[in-house]
Amino acid sequence: MASRDIVTYRTPASVLAGIASAVFVVLFLIWTVLPIFIMFVSSIKDLLEAFKLPAVGDWSGIGVFFDFTPTFKHYVDLFTQENFGTYFFNSVASALGSAAISVVLGSMAAYALSRAEFRGKKDLFFWIISTRMAPVVAVMVPLFAIFRYGGLVGTTPGLIIAYTTFNLPFAIWILKGFFDNVPYEIEEASMVDGSTRLQAFKAIIPLVSPGIGAFLVLCVLFAWNDFLFASIIGSGGAKTLPVATSGLVQPQNIQWGKIMAAGVVTTLPMMLLGLVIRRYLVTGLTMGAVRG
Amino acid sequence: MTKVVVSEVWKMYGKVPAVRDLSFSCESGEFLCVLGPSGCGKSSTLRMLAGLEHISAGEITFDGKRINELPPKDRDIAMVFENYALYPHKTVGDNMANALKLRGMPAAEIKTRVDRAAAMLQIGHLLDRRPMELSGGQKQRVAIGRAIVRSPKVFLFDEPIGHLDAKLRGHMRGELKRLQRELATTTIYVTHDQLEALSMADRIAVMNEGVLQQIGTPQDIYNHPANEWVASFVGEPPMNFLDAEVVTTGSETDLEVRCGALRVRLSDAHRHRLEGVRGGMRLGIRPEALQVAGAAPGADWTAGTIYAVEPLGGDTLVEVAFQGGRVLAKTGADFRGEMDAPIFVTVDSTKLHLFDASNGRALT
Repeated sequence: MASRDIVTYRTPASVLAGIASAVFVVLFLIWTVLPIFIMFVSSIKDLLEAFKLPAVGDWSGIGVFFDFTPTFKHYVDLFTQENFGTYFFNSVASALGSAAISVVLGSMAAYALSRAEFRGKKDLFFWIISTRMAPVVAVMVPLFAIFRYGGLVGTTPGLIIAYTTFNLPFAIWILKGFFDNVPYEIEEASMVDGSTRLQAFKAIIPLVSPGIGAFLVLCVLFAWNDFLFASIIGSGGAKTLPVATSGLVQPQNIQWGKIMAAGVVTTLPMMLLGLVIRRYLVTGLTMGAVRG
Repeated sequence: MTKVVVSEVWKMYGKVPAVRDLSFSCESGEFLCVLGPSGCGKSSTLRMLAGLEHISAGEITFDGKRINELPPKDRDIAMVFENYALYPHKTVGDNMANALKLRGMPAAEIKTRVDRAAAMLQIGHLLDRRPMELSGGQKQRVAIGRAIVRSPKVFLFDEPIGHLDAKLRGHMRGELKRLQRELATTTIYVTHDQLEALSMADRIAVMNEGVLQQIGTPQDIYNHPANEWVASFVGEPPMNFLDAEVVTTGSETDLEVRCGALRVRLSDAHRHRLEGVRGGMRLGIRPEALQVAGAAPGADWTAGTIYAVEPLGGDTLVEVAFQGGRVLAKTGADFRGEMDAPIFVTVDSTKLHLFDASNGRALT
């Protein structure tokens, strides 16, 4: 196989472009990392220290940002005064619950759509995807009515169902591509080897596991970061972290310390998840597309 | 040791028949090749035997027991797929052990069997590798290994060596044939490669457009093709076909085949089978039944010119154009001749094939 490197030659223009892109990357990093940095640092500062700012143009005063005594009182307050333990649990339960249900139902539906031939299959598949096309807001009111009728408003199962409604089509869509890439002969070989249809399906699950892994992550992210469903369907009994955080903004008192700490509590698990499954996620998302 | 009987089997895809009224049997321990071009229904036949396709009509029996309604797992067959279909996430050893595990065999017994099969196929050193790390030939052996660990009733092979390079294919033909004889398991082997069929099979079933054309030993198929289609499909280089006429010369029993300048006096063997057949027909001559010479050694040689010469190393193919037609002749490696040079050609009259011009059926 020939080298797949892109051959480039140095020209004045390419040198200039190199410098320009380096500058861009630095600016971009500041743009993206700085808010997270400020959030993290402010969460361990006392309120007074957090609002200490150098005068405009006084670059030597930048040390003021780092001149503080670390304190974890905001975190402690979150879990003692604000009941964040429950909200954290609600977030985890609704994210994992909907991810698990979507993956189980989605993989079976995707398998069926990938393997079976039946009339109207293309239309059915398109219909499934099309349910994702409407913005969440558009269906929120009718959904709320249905959920209220079913007594699901303000409950974690309600949230799980709401997320599953939106994750399931996505799961089917992603996983169908992965199943399509698994040669049918492997299942046939498995059936000839002595497995039932269901066992043959299970036998190829490891082959679509990158897809399942990638989907699980996207599904958890969707539910974890969701605000709209959580604030409307989950309002009251099933508050999740983003909703609880927004509750810290009160008309007479914006509790910046707790808000920053809540931001860290919300962001950190997803960052860790991202780090752990980083490689997995990239292969998962590209494999469905390019593996021939 | 299982006898397979296929009787009056049809396979329909919607309204399109892929296999039509197919009947044959495969004796216990026999190596039967199903030969045909792509789309002839041979793979559908194999998949019906495996239980991967429903049988639209007819019946298949293993040792007299109807298997139409049995799922693959209950048929006790082993199949080798064209693309091997190994489990990519399992090691070679696990690939081979899978069928035994599914049957709940004890681990020690599984290991013995896998090791024995691996030794037979010389893949003992590969047992811990994954299919991705193997070459095509090795994958192929693993796929065969997966089939033989189980001692099934019937082996089904779906063009198992079609993806290998020519040299390895030649090698595997011998290996597979030997393995089949050693295991003495009834084997049905599907291929589009007539060379594979001729070299390995005890008997060959030739199919075209879903219809069984002929079933017989390789010699039968080669020397006595049932029709023009079988004659043209089997044999490399392919048989020459000419529009010809059978005429009487002198007495009523003195027959001659004429095609332009080419004339062949029919041997006694042909003559009595052509009772009452006169007029136009198709003449088939295998390239090796033709002889060529630079100068006419006798009266029954036909004059022509060299159209093309193709030296193949061991043999030389000479295409001879004569008045009324063109034939490909196989001759020795020492043949020398220039294009358009005069040449003489003659036919071994005992090796003629005559076919009915209207339906292609063999007359001799």
